[in-house]
Amino acid sequence: MAAESARKFEALEAQAATLLDVFRRGGYEQVAPSIIQPADVLLDRIGEAIRGRTYVFTDLSGEELCLRPDLTVPVSRLYLERHPPADAPARYCYNGPAFRFQPKGSGGTHPREFRQAGIECFGVADRDSADAEVVLLVADAVRSAGLREFRFRFGDIALFYALLDALSLPERWRLKLRHYFWRPPAFHALLSRLAKGEAPDSDGPVAEFAATLADMDPARAEELVANYLETHGLPLSGNRALGEITERLLDHAADLRSEPLPREVATVIDYYLAVEASPREAIDRIAMIAKGAGIDLGPALYVLSRRFDLLQERGIDIGGASFASEFGRDLEYYSGLVFQIETGGDGTSSIAGGGRYDGLLRSVGAPAEVPAVGSAIHTERLLAAIEGES
Amino acid sequence: MAATLTIAVPSKGRLKDAAGALFERAGLALRKTGHERGYSGVMHGLDGVEVAFLSAAEIVHQLESGRVHMGVTGEDLIRETLPDVEESVEFLAPLGFGRADVVVAVPDCWIDIARMADLEDVAEQFARAHGRRLRVATKYLNLTRRFFAKAGVAGYRIVESVGATEGTPAAGTAELIVDITTTGTTLRANYLKVLEDGLILKSQAHLFAARGADWNGNAPGLRDAILDRLSKAV
Repeated sequence: MAAESARKFEALEAQAATLLDVFRRGGYEQVAPSIIQPADVLLDRIGEAIRGRTYVFTDLSGEELCLRPDLTVPVSRLYLERHPPADAPARYCYNGPAFRFQPKGSGGTHPREFRQAGIECFGVADRDSADAEVVLLVADAVRSAGLREFRFRFGDIALFYALLDALSLPERWRLKLRHYFWRPPAFHALLSRLAKGEAPDSDGPVAEFAATLADMDPARAEELVANYLETHGLPLSGNRALGEITERLLDHAADLRSEPLPREVATVIDYYLAVEASPREAIDRIAMIAKGAGIDLGPALYVLSRRFDLLQERGIDIGGASFASEFGRDLEYYSGLVFQIETGGDGTSSIAGGGRYDGLLRSVGAPAEVPAVGSAIHTERLLAAIEGES
Repeated sequence: MAATLTIAVPSKGRLKDAAGALFERAGLALRKTGHERGYSGVMHGLDGVEVAFLSAAEIVHQLESGRVHMGVTGEDLIRETLPDVEESVEFLAPLGFGRADVVVAVPDCWIDIARMADLEDVAEQFARAHGRRLRVATKYLNLTRRFFAKAGVAGYRIVESVGATEGTPAAGTAELIVDITTTGTTLRANYLKVLEDGLILKSQAHLFAARGADWNGNAPGLRDAILDRLSKAV
């Protein structure tokens, strides 16, 4: 185990000073959120995959705490502390350590203790210009730090949601597909199950009972479920309300009766998720898929296209960038544009990433949804990439 | 004569008495040396063996580090605790006691769910209705994570629980649990049901050898002698 966490202390400090300078000149106020965070809020947002890599501990008072595994949630909490109604725009930048267990051992590009420098932009209603502002500022920052060769990779979660909205689907399947988008292997299984029309386990006494609820008014169905539980001596527990159990039984009953998902609809989703090309080409292909399916994606595609125009005008190499519909499926709090900055020949080294996460603030306590977009730079990797270039 | 092989056996809990009886049947009765409350002993009939009385969980750590040569403990603890089971220990023999199934159990009243695949659907609905993830109470963090990942369930979070786990759904501190069960009585008493495909591990006590221990000298011979006599007594 290395006794010193940041072996290139001076180089990293100098680099951080440059990055923060760019951020501050861009109008971002420097903040330093707590390194030790309440485990509950943070881990509920971030999911068990990262929880498994987070250093969680209980302090002497019995409170469950963690070393922050990234800075987005801590900075979001800081914003809410300063602006409880969450109604004022705010722009923050930071540079500081984050901590993650490295299952294959802590090493050069995967240290367990690393430094993130980044920006978060809250409460700006003009989402397109805020997205562009963040992308441009991060590009400016890594360039100022000395990086010459890099490429952008983009994705857009909102476009996938627009596609689901445009397709003709029962609402219960739309909700399911939205949720399963974040679980790629399970998503695929779900899609082919819906397309094959396999009824979910239609045997057993409960399925029999569920079938009797088909097309029933929810209030009436709830009464019957309450009766069923009482007759069978099953008290409610586990925090799910009677209405929630009833809703799923009704969905189940509807699934038993419904036609399978039309093959064409499943194919459109599959084709859409396979799109990976330069941004212009990707937009053309998605437009063609939509046209072929006879659906209107609404403003989503136009917004995306205009965003790329804007970035190109401001000096981002859109021709050399890539867009993948699948990109961004691993961090559940993203809700719109997602991007990363890549270096290296095979494009596997990501030195910065970010995106829009409009739903996150509400889930950490804001009274309403707050527009939010941000980006973080993995500073050790940025330094290594710059040193690799010279 | 100085000991050349150390074997760790459970000093308390459900495994202690069964382990003691098994060694006795095998003609290898364990006896504490010195103080009755002490933690070391000898094995009747085999010179050169030192017995360490430790908790079942501590035995796992001692096996991992190679500070003991052999140990009796539960497979559940071994699989939960060791990052690389095959690298650290060798399974010498199942011992036929300490049987326990590690299972995923949900409230009986969740009549809309029967299998692991349903769990992700419930997670989606739960997040929509409550604004947070399903909580799984367990002490088996790693077994749970691996099993849920394999089943494609991701919309949950673990809350650590070291005792009375089966009471957490009724108390409202978790929605479901991963815990051990032998007869299912405790689960039923707490209105919980095991998911149809929710069996994570059928565990029992095993005799383990530590790959990292010093196996020079008489140690391999003593290991074979113990294994031979225990196998006949199981």
